[in-house]
Amino acid sequence: MPPASFLHNLHPLTKVVWSLAVVTAAFFLQGPLPLLLLWASVLAVAGAGKVLRQVLPALKGLALLAGLFFLFQVFLIREGNTVFTLFPAKGIGQVTDVGLYACTVLALRMLAMTSTIPVLLATTNPKDMVVAFVEKLKVPYLYAFMLVTSLRFIPILQEQLDLVLQAQRARGRDLEGRNFIKRVKAVVPLALPLLLVSIRRSRTLAISLETRGFGSGPRTHLRPLAFRPADIAATAACLLLAFLVILL
Amino acid sequence: METLIEVQNFTFYYGESPVPALADLNLTVRRGEFVGITGPTGAGKTTLALALNGVIPHFQGGRWSGRVVVAGMDTAETPCSRLARIIGSVFQDPEAQLVATDVEEEVAFGLENQALPREEMLPRIEEALTMVGIRDLRHRSLKELSGGQKQRVAIAAALAMRPAVLVLDEPTSELDPQGTQDVMEVLRLLNREHHLTIVLLEQKLAAMAPYISRLVCLHEGRVVADAPPREILRREKLLRELGLEDPPVAAFFRQLQRAGLYSRDLPLTVEEGREELGRLFAKEGIL
Amino acid sequence: MIRAENLSFTYPNGLQALKDISFHIKKGEFAAIIGRNGSGKTTLLKHFNGLLKPTSGRLLIAGLDTARARTAELARKVGFLFQNPDHQIFLPTVAQEIAFGPRNLGLKGREIERRVAEAAAQVGLTEYLDASPWKLGKGLRQRVALASVLAMGPDILVLDEPTTGQDYRQAREIMAITKALHRKGHTIILVTHDMELVARYAEKALVLGGGRLLLQGPLTEVFSRDDVLAEAGLLPPAVLRLTAPYRKAGLIPGVLTPEDLFREVCTILRGEDHAARILPA
Ligand SMILES: Nc1ncnc2c1ncn2[C@@H]1O[C@H](COP(=O)(O)OP(=O)(O)OP(=O)(O)O)[C@@H](O)[C@H]1O
Ligand SMILES: Nc1ncnc2c1ncn2[C@@H]1O[C@H](COP(=O)(O)OP(=O)(O)OP(=O)(O)O)[C@@H](O)[C@H]1O
Ligand SMILES: [Mg+2]
Ligand SMILES: [Mg+2]
Repeated sequence: MPPASFLHNLHPLTKVVWSLAVVTAAFFLQGPLPLLLLWASVLAVAGAGKVLRQVLPALKGLALLAGLFFLFQVFLIREGNTVFTLFPAKGIGQVTDVGLYACTVLALRMLAMTSTIPVLLATTNPKDMVVAFVEKLKVPYLYAFMLVTSLRFIPILQEQLDLVLQAQRARGRDLEGRNFIKRVKAVVPLALPLLLVSIRRSRTLAISLETRGFGSGPRTHLRPLAFRPADIAATAACLLLAFLVILL
Repeated sequence: METLIEVQNFTFYYGESPVPALADLNLTVRRGEFVGITGPTGAGKTTLALALNGVIPHFQGGRWSGRVVVAGMDTAETPCSRLARIIGSVFQDPEAQLVATDVEEEVAFGLENQALPREEMLPRIEEALTMVGIRDLRHRSLKELSGGQKQRVAIAAALAMRPAVLVLDEPTSELDPQGTQDVMEVLRLLNREHHLTIVLLEQKLAAMAPYISRLVCLHEGRVVADAPPREILRREKLLRELGLEDPPVAAFFRQLQRAGLYSRDLPLTVEEGREELGRLFAKEGIL
Repeated sequence: MIRAENLSFTYPNGLQALKDISFHIKKGEFAAIIGRNGSGKTTLLKHFNGLLKPTSGRLLIAGLDTARARTAELARKVGFLFQNPDHQIFLPTVAQEIAFGPRNLGLKGREIERRVAEAAAQVGLTEYLDASPWKLGKGLRQRVALASVLAMGPDILVLDEPTTGQDYRQAREIMAITKALHRKGHTIILVTHDMELVARYAEKALVLGGGRLLLQGPLTEVFSRDDVLAEAGLLPPAVLRLTAPYRKAGLIPGVLTPEDLFREVCTILRGEDHAARILPA
């Protein structure tokens, strides 16, 4: 089973650095265009790593969240010139040019910052991430576990959701029409049980690692997770770009 | 023989549950034993397994009292990762215990934690995969395996570590009949030749009985019987009360016994059964 | 009723899991699908309700081509019991859970109530209708899952290892319910590794091996083909293994369960009808 792409082959820490660089850049970049470009670059990396299709549902979800965030905020900003009013008669629902601009920037920033997470998860095994954190960064492994457990939670939730939707289809629920409202309605009552199941399952990673002896001392590697020239180059590039963005 | 596992008056309640999952349980396992533990759903098999490898109390919240000592270490005071040097675990849900992306990496994980040099890992992986009949899956991705194939990987991963004690919680629930028998044979071999101590928690009495030296029956968190399997299979009432499997060979000969047609000890295996049937027929001059 | 014609299926990773499979299961039959781990049983089952579509060949269910039919449409004909009940339970009470399918069929008020009551009664869940499925034990949850499938009124029931994780008593209870449904005329397709269950309940067996259909036929026939069984990682039920040496001599043929064997052996030992046994017609 050869790893699927160069992205899978990179050291987990390299990908974490990339993630952090994107977050930093998103923080410092100001206009909608640069942020959009940044987001596009994340998609490009996902594409190059052959996981774009795999992470698409997650990206859609994040875009939806950013969109909701935009809608909530855009009516709250009162400065600037009013572009239009939702209910002119009652004078509520004013949207200003400043508001539009600021909220677009905020939403895009949020989108760019979060989009690396699904890409990271799709190309890195959680176990390798724990190992990398503990061995290379000397993070106490309890914290590494906690971090990775929470990261692993998202794909597990997705898996569980897929299972339930499969079960619903098998009992005659017509979800093949791609009707978004229908889908949401099907999923809402499942939220709690799905969360519980997913929490239970994501905890088992820590248990599986420990009961196989992880954390009891020094270890060896079947396939050493070496920091290769490609990692050095990628890390350097990410750091450099992040610096440039901060300086500009 | 020396005592390897000692469970002393152990009681465990999950979370706020008012009923104990294990109630004042006592159990001693000596080095080199091959113990089977059975009981109906909810009897506490999994809870006991988790108490032995330290997941209880380190990971599972709940109230507990008593003591579990494995190879001289009190499980409550020893991290799971330390206990893992002595005790290997195979959990009930094969899916949930896999940590890697492909088969080879999965089996290697425990060996890496033992700091085994890479050259020694490769033959060990090969050996473990061969033992459970999945050598050809070595380079497959875990996501793309069938249920039974995943379960075999989980067993191989535990075997490769060559622990002193192996605790297996329904390890053959998704295996095909030949696979189940093969795993039992491998366990017997390791037990006899390498003195591996085995605690096997199983519902499949017929498959397990011929291999174990001792059968412990749990019910509502308590030990209700602890004897050689042959003796327990004789106690039809107990089997029925606990809702345990009545292995077909034993069930058949018990019916003969009741009809006054058979008086010797109940056979456990098909081979023993054939012998006894042959004896019966020979006595009557048939065949 | 169910007809597979040269059905093949290849997973996206290139692994061909089903190879040129053809069979026919008649209305009202109880068929077991058995075979080694990884032989393709689950893959085949997922074709029955359209979760997977053949790469080539086709599968017809009551005349419906599964490649073209919508899963929702197939769901009226095929009830699918997933291996893990927790993967198919998702509503707060047992009654709502059972009502989910009928509601999707477009049924209303009274009719739904009737279906829920009937399905619950069939599996002995009537007293639990208002309970939360999550508070029930695993065995009862498996029955909730079964009832919710039955409420759709499917002619065909497809069960993927319905007894794993169940204890012996619970497994027997599930099988007793299945048998009662079979008596009422349902077509049953069961995947299991428990040959004792196959021997006790099924009428015919389909043996899969390496994605191919190695053998199909009545149980006594299938279980007497040691060569094929060995290839498929299967062992015949204990009773058949016990009597194998005598079967070769024509004694005690076609006995599958301990009770039947007991009856046969009693007859033999007590000498009744003795000669006829040794020299079968
Ligand atoms: N995580 C949990 N939270 C609360 N109660 C639990 C939990 N796990 C198990 N229990 C309860 O503890 C008791 C013992 O369960 P346990 O899982 O040990 O039984 P088991 O013998 O392994 O059963 P099975 O054959 O079904 O696996 C049961 O009453 C069960 O309901
Ligand atoms: N999602 C998948 N992608 C690729 N290959 C798969 C996938 N799922 C299963 N396979 C492979 O397809 C073959 C058939 O698998 P399937 O799950 O149908 O087996 P099965 O007969 O149900 O086995 P079991 O008795 O272990 O449940 C196996 O070789 C398996 O490794
Ligand atoms: Mg258990
Ligand atoms: Mg399967």
